[in-house]
Amino acid sequence: MKSTSKQQMKTLIAVSIIALVALALVSQLHFAYAQLAQQENTKQYLNLRAEVWNLFFRMTTAAFTVGAIVSGTMIWLVWRFRESNPKNKAPTKWEHLEDPTAGSYEEEGH
Amino acid sequence: MGHDTAEWVFVAVVIAVLVYVGVDSWIVQKEVEDVPADAEVIKVTGQQWFWSFEHADGTKEISTLHLKKGHAYKFEIYSRDVMHSFNIPDWVVFEDAVPGHTNHAWFAPNEVGTYPIQCREYCGLLHYNMRGSLVVEDDKS
Amino acid sequence: MVLELQKPRPVWQIMFSTHHTDVGYLYTITGLTFLFMAGVLAMIIRTHLFFPGEGVLVSDSATFNRIFTVHGLTMLFLFALPVANGIGNILVPIMVRYKDMAYPKLNAIAFWMNPVGGALLWLGFADVSWVSYAPYSIIRAPGPAADMFIFGMKILGISSILSSINFVVTVLKCKHPDLSLRRVPLFAWSMLTVSLMTLIAMPTYAAALIMMLTDRLGLSGFFNPFAGGDPIAYLHLFWFTFHPEVYIFLLPAIGMMYEIIPRFSRKPLYSQASGVFAFVMLGIIGFASWGHHMYSTGMDFTTKVVFMIGTLAAVPASGMHVFNFLATMWGARIRFAAPMKFAVGGIALFFSAGAGGVLNSAMPLDFISHGTYWVVGHMHLFLTGTIGFGFVAMVYYMFPYITGRMYSEKWANVHFIGMFWGTVQVFFTQHLLGLEGMPRRIYDYPPEFTSWTQLNQIATVGAWILGASFAVFLASLIYYSAKGKPANMDDPWGLGGKYYYPVAAKNPHGGHSGY
Repeated sequence: MKSTSKQQMKTLIAVSIIALVALALVSQLHFAYAQLAQQENTKQYLNLRAEVWNLFFRMTTAAFTVGAIVSGTMIWLVWRFRESNPKNKAPTKWEHLEDPTAGSYEEEGH
Repeated sequence: MGHDTAEWVFVAVVIAVLVYVGVDSWIVQKEVEDVPADAEVIKVTGQQWFWSFEHADGTKEISTLHLKKGHAYKFEIYSRDVMHSFNIPDWVVFEDAVPGHTNHAWFAPNEVGTYPIQCREYCGLLHYNMRGSLVVEDDKS
Repeated sequence: MVLELQKPRPVWQIMFSTHHTDVGYLYTITGLTFLFMAGVLAMIIRTHLFFPGEGVLVSDSATFNRIFTVHGLTMLFLFALPVANGIGNILVPIMVRYKDMAYPKLNAIAFWMNPVGGALLWLGFADVSWVSYAPYSIIRAPGPAADMFIFGMKILGISSILSSINFVVTVLKCKHPDLSLRRVPLFAWSMLTVSLMTLIAMPTYAAALIMMLTDRLGLSGFFNPFAGGDPIAYLHLFWFTFHPEVYIFLLPAIGMMYEIIPRFSRKPLYSQASGVFAFVMLGIIGFASWGHHMYSTGMDFTTKVVFMIGTLAAVPASGMHVFNFLATMWGARIRFAAPMKFAVGGIALFFSAGAGGVLNSAMPLDFISHGTYWVVGHMHLFLTGTIGFGFVAMVYYMFPYITGRMYSEKWANVHFIGMFWGTVQVFFTQHLLGLEGMPRRIYDYPPEFTSWTQLNQIATVGAWILGASFAVFLASLIYYSAKGKPANMDDPWGLGGKYYYPVAAKNPHGGHSGY
């Protein structure tokens, strides 16, 4: 149990780092956008709609990045831990309890 | 067990994303709220169920607003009866018209054309039809 | 057992009962009835918007305005609140190991206010929209519909305050002494949190309703700018109640998922403590974000920033719930019976709606999204996608225990696929409509706006799919409660183990011996 939960943690941390890297890239995108906007718009006034829409697209990029990670994890969870998956033939270690949901990780784990 | 660590890492990532969202919106909002000093004032009045406009020189228009490309305009938004919301979707101009209050919005059109104006706050029977149009023309002068 | 067909009881015995399970059944059935009634209104709205400029089904905007008002009010106050209260009534006393709710008669009174309030709303059929912004609701909305709306909402508000008092006392004072508050099941925690929130939030709106009534009568001018008042004051009072109310709708659904997900994962919950923490956090932070509904009313920059931070602060706690669910499913052996399908679908859509919510909180994006179909899509994605899925999951979960019979897994599957597909198709499309600039609450739109027409038609087809899936739901609820196979009451889904809470609810008059 100890090793699996460590692995789980490692996976989670790896996923999180990917998210952070993706977000760092997003802000680079912002920089590129801003430069483009400056080249294009030599007028004296701020291009209000461009600013707002650029913000929108940056935010949706962030949202979809995080969304892809979360829903990807979820789809994988649903596929991997469904009871019909051949890997899940063996009952979990809580199933011998009177109520599996009333078990705990500490007492049963080791 | 490591449960707590995984969860804290997750929460930290979420907070990092949120800080990014907050800071970026703060920056953009600050920029967007900064009205150019030379913006021409247009008084916009909403009432059930049409918009009327008054230019700085006193010219009045109903439903159709004529503006010039390359100038900045500041809208002073009033309402004569219930709440409305002055909105030009194509130019991201949007602010509520609240009776008893004066609200502001601004923009600087840089393209000629005709754009719809609409009401975005429910205001009764003909709310759906409280439409107008914005005509942006070349500055000939 | 109440609706159990082997031992039927006359219907009046249930109606005049003050027992918590009986009142719970009444709440749930009333809530579901109103769900289908409001669903019909939704189908009318969507079908109408399929044909721009033709006035199909609804030929005037006055009727249309009344329909969307009553649709909203019914879904929120006559479906979401009663069903949460109903399931809460059935399970909370058992979860805290008490024989009944703390005040059984008060409980029955609180329930019977619902049909009365509902009758006032439906007979009045007001056109104020569910937010009923002043000054429209004061100076222009036609009576007596608007006055009936005020009284109906008043009664529903009192009802929800009474039932909240009941839940708070039941959990905090009647809890079994051996059961520490930390170990109270999370569904009971969610009901406790939302009840405390209701007690803080609801009186504000109750006061605002009275002020609105006296304003309408011309006795005062609190919100009437033509009598020296300020409509913005109404908005503050309204959203101070109804932003927290969003969490009041949401948290019971999350609590239901906490009951279902470990059960069908055959595994203990990942972390009770983080669930409790996240509920309490949401309960507190829910009060810090009401201003994000009012960015465009002429709010100054600093206030906007404060409310943006308040809004964003609620996200980590919501994320902790999602994490908790996913971590519970990790390493499990999941049986995807209907309740689990709906619960997992609900989590997926909860995340999508939450991501949209983060975008909403960003101040400049308000220019694009506020008052458009983006908001309609966002808030329906929460209400259908999370709250609706959670409630439906719980209805399937309780079904064998309430009726003694089993629903059909095949038809539940049809319902699930239709509901998930429909929800995604309608409400994601409505987000796009919002980006195209279509305002909400409009009776008609120019047919020459082709992008609006196309997106509306896509959304309408989705709504038909959603509506059809609910027709399947209704039919199977009725059919299988009478003709379904008798359920194995000890273990209806063959998961192994004992289902303490619903089993105890099954036998209300014999006490329960689950412990």
